[in-house]
Amino acid sequence: MRFHFPIFDLPPETEALRAEVRAFVAEELAAGRWQRGGDFASNYDPAFSRRLGERGWLGMTWPRKYGGHERSMLERLVVTEELLAASAPVAAHWIGDRQSGPLLLRFGTEAQRETFLPRIVRGEIFFSIGMSEPDSGSDLASVRTRATPAKGGWNINGQKVWTTFAHRNDYAIVLARTGEAGATRHAGLSQFIVDLKAGDVKVRPIVNMAGQQEFNEVIFQNTFVPEDRLVGEIGNGWHQVTSELAFERSGPERYLSCIRLVEAALQAGGGTPAPRLREALGRMSAKLVALRAMSIAVAALLQKGEMPNLEASLIKDLGNAFEREQIAIFRGLMPELAAPGAEYLGALAETTIYSPSWTLRGGTREILRGIVARGLGIR
Amino acid sequence: MGAPANDALQPALAIDPMVVDAATRAFDDLAAKWLAGEPSSAKRAALLEAVVALGFADALPAPDGREAWLDAAAIIRAQAQAAAPIDMALLLATGDRAGSIAYDPGRYACAATAGAAVDAAAAAALALGRCLQISGAMAAALELSVQYVQDRKQFGQPLAKFQAIQHSLALAAEEIAACTAITDLALACAAREGIAAARLPALLDGAAVVANRAVDVVYDVCHQVHGAIGFTREYALHRHSLDLLRWRDALVLLRGGELRAAERLGDRAIGAGGVWRAVTAQMKPEISA
Repeated sequence: MRFHFPIFDLPPETEALRAEVRAFVAEELAAGRWQRGGDFASNYDPAFSRRLGERGWLGMTWPRKYGGHERSMLERLVVTEELLAASAPVAAHWIGDRQSGPLLLRFGTEAQRETFLPRIVRGEIFFSIGMSEPDSGSDLASVRTRATPAKGGWNINGQKVWTTFAHRNDYAIVLARTGEAGATRHAGLSQFIVDLKAGDVKVRPIVNMAGQQEFNEVIFQNTFVPEDRLVGEIGNGWHQVTSELAFERSGPERYLSCIRLVEAALQAGGGTPAPRLREALGRMSAKLVALRAMSIAVAALLQKGEMPNLEASLIKDLGNAFEREQIAIFRGLMPELAAPGAEYLGALAETTIYSPSWTLRGGTREILRGIVARGLGIR
Repeated sequence: MGAPANDALQPALAIDPMVVDAATRAFDDLAAKWLAGEPSSAKRAALLEAVVALGFADALPAPDGREAWLDAAAIIRAQAQAAAPIDMALLLATGDRAGSIAYDPGRYACAATAGAAVDAAAAAALALGRCLQISGAMAAALELSVQYVQDRKQFGQPLAKFQAIQHSLALAAEEIAACTAITDLALACAAREGIAAARLPALLDGAAVVANRAVDVVYDVCHQVHGAIGFTREYALHRHSLDLLRWRDALVLLRGGELRAAERLGDRAIGAGGVWRAVTAQMKPEISA
């Protein structure tokens, strides 16, 4: 095989952490602070994010001097997988914790780290990703939003789209053109931290097929960005964006989106569960074990300082296809359930409606398979 | 990342599963160690028989047990990848030779029964051996396919240039990765906790379920991209693809059939109060490294 997923065990001390997260979730649910539902991109609850911050579960792997907790990638994985398995409302902090923070740690200035990271860790500020545009979806190198030098900084003109929670988040990290694309088309791109609340950014809602406003159009008309909000180097945006893909694509959010439906079906199965339900639960858990082993492998490799982008893309495609298949299977089981109640039906409706977005966001199925093919040496 | 890279973090399973040469050398070393003298083909076959058929844990002496396990695992996988001329276990049980073009699914029910009748531990070791063989043969079938689509030209360009071909092979690679991961998980469990480890049967049931599907995908995709040449006796693909069918049958039947394996896992999930709870419990080592 040309892909390598070495087997790592979660260190024994992570079991105490897992128990802690499970107890916290149980306590939150018992207190009625939130209901299970949605996923990492839809269930938004700033107060919950702040409570996670108080527990030390945001920015877990970051250095202490920026408010982080210097815990391992595997400890972070334990917390994120338990929150996702509980369908907890993690959307507010998700992007900042997973992506924007690590980006600033890797490429940001010292001042940027000191300004933003401690507030992400406390659950005080939330981030959006500013990549897609009306004419630039999977073909990210074609972005047309442009940043031009202005006195003391940059003026940004252009438009982003599908910007999740831009109407509630505080900042977006915007990929913009600052120079010529060059032969590879990857040159001349740069990243900027844009203040979404500054008043010179227009955010317009796009209501999704579930009837929810989660994503937005974001329009920049001479939006001024001070010099010190440039992330990394001018023209290095492509490298910076693509270097984070292993973080973005390998996590449990890529194979646990259907877990609420599956657990609800299990609960609705009654005292003598139908053989078909037992069989479906078994197949689900078998593949989940394989995917989780692969995901743990990537987290461990990241901890060791490697960047397994290829393996991460493979996990996302496999995981997303698995998630979507589970919905069909567990929908078919409805007549086999003793008591298909509100939890099962609600989860079925939600996962069914949202599932097309799973194989689009964060790298479409087609892009991912292309990356895997490149890994095989045939592209 | 902010936290320092952790050099102390070591994989639970440190074999490079696909290095045929290294594994073959290791095989010879083992043969020399346990059979004394230069490894002859008869000795190699005897060792392979012991390793695969009797449960490779039992075949190897205890002192450096874990290392020996991993050596044996690498050998089994590499031999499978190379479509090793003789699979002694199957030869004894069914009269089939690995790499032959015979395929008779009825035979494997007998082989499985014979394997399971030995005892639970031997059946577990045998299932693990089958998983390793399957992951090796799948890798070989994929490699052959990757090579073929680069060599074969149609419509004025290599098949590899067509996106439909690229995506088909990507799908096969993904299934193989999943199957190999759960196999390695079961191997890591057996190597450290022993063949009687309480959580091993669930991992092997899971491996049977995952492998069952992966073999279907690989059998489909690898033959499809080869076109008619892959369907001939003279071309090598069948050496891997028919091995896959045989070993899949043998594995799945050792677990009482894919359906039974899935049902048992479902019952575990129900007993644990949820799929997620069952999965995390199953993947938690009982003995730390």
